[in-house]
Amino acid sequence: MNDEAATGIIFNIQKFSVHDGEGIRTLVFLKGCPLRCAWCSNPESQSPKPEHAFNPSRCLTAQVCGRCLKACEHGALSLVNDMIMFDARRCTQCFACANACPGQAQKVYGETKSVREILDLVERDQTFYSRSGGGMTLSGGEALFQHEFTLALLRAAKRRHIDTAMETSAYAPYPYLHEACENLNKLIMDIKCMDSAKHKAFTGVDNDLILENFQKLLQDFPDLPILVRTPVVPGFNDTEEDIRAIRRFVPLKANIEYELLPYHRMGQPKYGYLCRPYALEGKKLDPKTMQKLREIAFGLPIAIPGLDAQKA
Amino acid sequence: MSQILSPQEDRVLNKKVDRKGRERIYKILERNQFTIPHVDVERAKYFTESMRTTEGELLTLRWAKALKNVAEKITVWITPDQLLAGRVGKLGRYGILYPEIDGDFYREVLGSLAHRDKSPFQVDPEDLKVVMEDIAPYWEGKTYHEHLNKTLPMELRNVTYCDERGLKSKFVVSETSSYRSALQWVPDYKKVLERGFIDIQNEAKERLAALDLTNSTDLWDKKPFYDAMIIVCDAIMIWARRHADLARDMAAKENDPKRKAELLQIAETCERVPSYPARTFREAVQCQWFVQMFSRIEQKASAIISNGRMDQYLYPYYKKDIEEGRITREEARELLECMWVDMAQFIDLYINPTGVEFQEGYAHWEAVTIGGQTPEGEDATNDLSYLFLESKREFPLNYPDLAARIHSRTPERFLYEVALTVKDGSGFPKLINDEEVVFLNSIKGCPVNEALDYAVSGCTETRMPNRDTYTSGCVYVNFATALEMTLYNGRMLHYGDELVGLETGDPCKFKSFEEFYEAYKKQHINLLQKAFQQQVVVDRLRPQHFAAPLSSVLHNLCMENALDLHTEKIPGGVDYSYFEFLGYGTIVDSLAAIKKLVFEEKKLSMKEVVDACRADFQGYEPVREMLRQAPSYGNDDPYVDSIARDVDRICQLEAIKSSKERGIHVDVRYVPITSHVPFGKVVSATPNGRHAWTALSDGSSASHGADVNGPTAVLLSNYHSKNYDLINRASRLLNIKLSPKSVAGDAGTKKVMDLIRTWCDLKLWHLQFNIVNRDTLIKAQKEPDNYRNLLVRIAGYSAYFCDISRELQNDIIDRTEHENV
Repeated sequence: MNDEAATGIIFNIQKFSVHDGEGIRTLVFLKGCPLRCAWCSNPESQSPKPEHAFNPSRCLTAQVCGRCLKACEHGALSLVNDMIMFDARRCTQCFACANACPGQAQKVYGETKSVREILDLVERDQTFYSRSGGGMTLSGGEALFQHEFTLALLRAAKRRHIDTAMETSAYAPYPYLHEACENLNKLIMDIKCMDSAKHKAFTGVDNDLILENFQKLLQDFPDLPILVRTPVVPGFNDTEEDIRAIRRFVPLKANIEYELLPYHRMGQPKYGYLCRPYALEGKKLDPKTMQKLREIAFGLPIAIPGLDAQKA
Repeated sequence: MSQILSPQEDRVLNKKVDRKGRERIYKILERNQFTIPHVDVERAKYFTESMRTTEGELLTLRWAKALKNVAEKITVWITPDQLLAGRVGKLGRYGILYPEIDGDFYREVLGSLAHRDKSPFQVDPEDLKVVMEDIAPYWEGKTYHEHLNKTLPMELRNVTYCDERGLKSKFVVSETSSYRSALQWVPDYKKVLERGFIDIQNEAKERLAALDLTNSTDLWDKKPFYDAMIIVCDAIMIWARRHADLARDMAAKENDPKRKAELLQIAETCERVPSYPARTFREAVQCQWFVQMFSRIEQKASAIISNGRMDQYLYPYYKKDIEEGRITREEARELLECMWVDMAQFIDLYINPTGVEFQEGYAHWEAVTIGGQTPEGEDATNDLSYLFLESKREFPLNYPDLAARIHSRTPERFLYEVALTVKDGSGFPKLINDEEVVFLNSIKGCPVNEALDYAVSGCTETRMPNRDTYTSGCVYVNFATALEMTLYNGRMLHYGDELVGLETGDPCKFKSFEEFYEAYKKQHINLLQKAFQQQVVVDRLRPQHFAAPLSSVLHNLCMENALDLHTEKIPGGVDYSYFEFLGYGTIVDSLAAIKKLVFEEKKLSMKEVVDACRADFQGYEPVREMLRQAPSYGNDDPYVDSIARDVDRICQLEAIKSSKERGIHVDVRYVPITSHVPFGKVVSATPNGRHAWTALSDGSSASHGADVNGPTAVLLSNYHSKNYDLINRASRLLNIKLSPKSVAGDAGTKKVMDLIRTWCDLKLWHLQFNIVNRDTLIKAQKEPDNYRNLLVRIAGYSAYFCDISRELQNDIIDRTEHENV
């Protein structure tokens, strides 16, 4: 099988990323996710297919341009009070509007790329990787949603001697996770909440598979560096009890790191572009709560530089 | 959302000043930090007084006599509370005049200096009278600027000036030689520290004695030259001695016993140096200060004389004093900071309005070089290198400019402290890459040991103090006008119907991108040829107007050959001349947009592009939007970087031809200082979507906001657009702006280190950072009084954000801020 020729759908490649793995890294964002986390900061990642979005702040306005209105044959775009309105229900995802848009107001999230194309691009920064210990990090969406493509990417990257990390919800059939771990250098996975009912309410799935996968990984890959993360979300898991429970579940081992990620709303505008409601409207994470949870998680008060900025 | 602040932002916003241990330094600084500088006319007065009486003699000799006259008569000063003596103007911030360059402007310009928007100066009415009645009349008809203006043939004047008198630049092919008498320069400070001027003078006497005065060359050329060398040594020694006398007088009148003791110590030091070799760190610092200040009296070297490899030549004195318990680290630091605060009071004064445009915000490049390698190729970092960085972090003044030399084996600790200093956010230090500079300077002819010992000089240039011999101010070529002239058949909207370039035809009739590119190339090469021709005139005229006896007596080759440093050709010297490329990103992005949208995808017609540009995109907003989406330089995109590389190649191939003709090395550089703002003011809208009359892209940086793939892509675009097979290239100035958040904490410091290491691997010449929140800059524009201390990196120097024009402020705000999410 030719891994390099395999294709999949990605929605972004981000260079000079430093918070997701060692050194200077390139993040590859894959489309498709089985979870629907209420706080998701990449809503454009959820659907496995390319998806239309409209960002009015980058629009020249109908008076100056209006090319998209003419291009749409399905009535998804209309003029209301001189403003361009987008009706997602009528959109057939034909992308005629995005092709007509001279700028970045009407755009498509997601494009098909081959492993070769992605790795060629990733490799362009290799001088930075070799100096910093960096490499490629797969993210999503759920990186294993397009498991065949993702596994091909990991295998091919290994052949090219690119350091790889993968961010995952671990909500995937174990064999996929297992094969991924055979080919990567570091796994970054979420454990969001130990209470399965709450987990289901906020993410759309229960946590049985995730916790079971984690246990299996610990057994099968006793030395693999794993970073376990908990996104701390107000109203979901921001109690001392929640964090204590997770902390008890994650073993203290040299190769296992643990991190708390404070909730942020930087993804919220994208919900608007996609015509979707934002479930956590108005929610805020109290910095004091965050500090307290860190003390619980790590035993002593520590500030995590770079992350404190996000405490809204 | 709360923000992560850089340490500098934290200090400015929260009004934090840590004066502990720096009471003296802050006292001196705060007396005059933000005052409007005044013009001190004494240098010009006594210089002119002597020049009147020596006409007909060898210029170097006249200059030495004039410097001696200044040394004997100029008021000597010791700044209150200072530990060092030697300033060349009244107390407060000051600038001095060099009428030999542009004294013909004084009558019309000097009276209005106080009222100009950019870098104003105040002039005392009495002093103004001296200038108008005494100084200016002598120089009228004699200045370098007038001579140049008269000599340039019409076809060159047409791209150089807008007016008869050559006051207004055309901003197409701009000369810079008439607002400075020399390019940036570094004297051989080490020589003075080790030998003293008595010994240097003795060398001149021996050389004089060895002449055969029956030989006419020896009699008429060499004898007066060595006479001049002897006189200039006297001049600086007399001047220093006068400070010793002053210090003793002041001590006698001083009631405070502590200050009295300090003044007596100053007197002792000034009696010793620079006549005799320095013995202690204190003497070495004082000696260096005398040499650099006297260099400033000697001539107007581009934006101030540089400080050379300070951590190298001062180190033996520092080490010995520390070991022998003569000085503490804190005392050594205080002496250096005493130098910084007096340095901060000397402001480079540009009379010429073009000069002001080029170098805004009281620009200055007295680069102190730290780190790098020894002449033997070992790492050169020492404790003083760290002391300089520490001083910069704890006492973040905009003086002196600090340059760190980085090489492949730079110690991790040095890199860490450099990164830490960079993160402070005030723009220091700038980084210069040994792996590129040493290679280029040696392959172009400099012996390797001297190439390894280079000092950063001025903005991003380098100097080998006993090997470099080229001193002409360079030419700035606005290639964005070549692009505009391709659109309008040799004309520019700013200059109406005037044919500024060549008639290359109506671009709407071009059938292919190749045809368009050929037309562009013709316009480009035409400007370049004009630039070279102009520069030849400059090279010929300068030695008739300028001499530099002090710089010459400290230069081995000048002494051996009995030739002034300003001589056109000095045997054994290397002549690295250069021209500045203006508008790189603007041009490259415009070419890429035309290639892609007009000729490949055919989404736009050439006519639409031309019409849209002519209308400054009014009514063509969608066209502008499309143009802006085209591939752009700074994103590591081979589509556009290959165009960038070819444009660089055109320059280098022409430079090779010119080098052969002129017997010097002509290099392309990308160092605009602040001139990309005024150069942009004559360029109408460009096909990269840039609005008319706005700033061009700066240096080798991307167009504003065009670099959307982060700093690694910016560095790689820079790498991929270079022609490594050609060597007619020199510095590329590169700005990277990062948000404080993206480099927060230890992980952030490590990231800055990784970026620097990779930049070094990529053999890019220069790199500097602005680490500041966009919000802070916008707030500083609105409430300048609360942000007076905010420093930003401009171009090889840092300036107070509130000291620069609105346009340049916007230029800095619009530089892309890189942030990872």
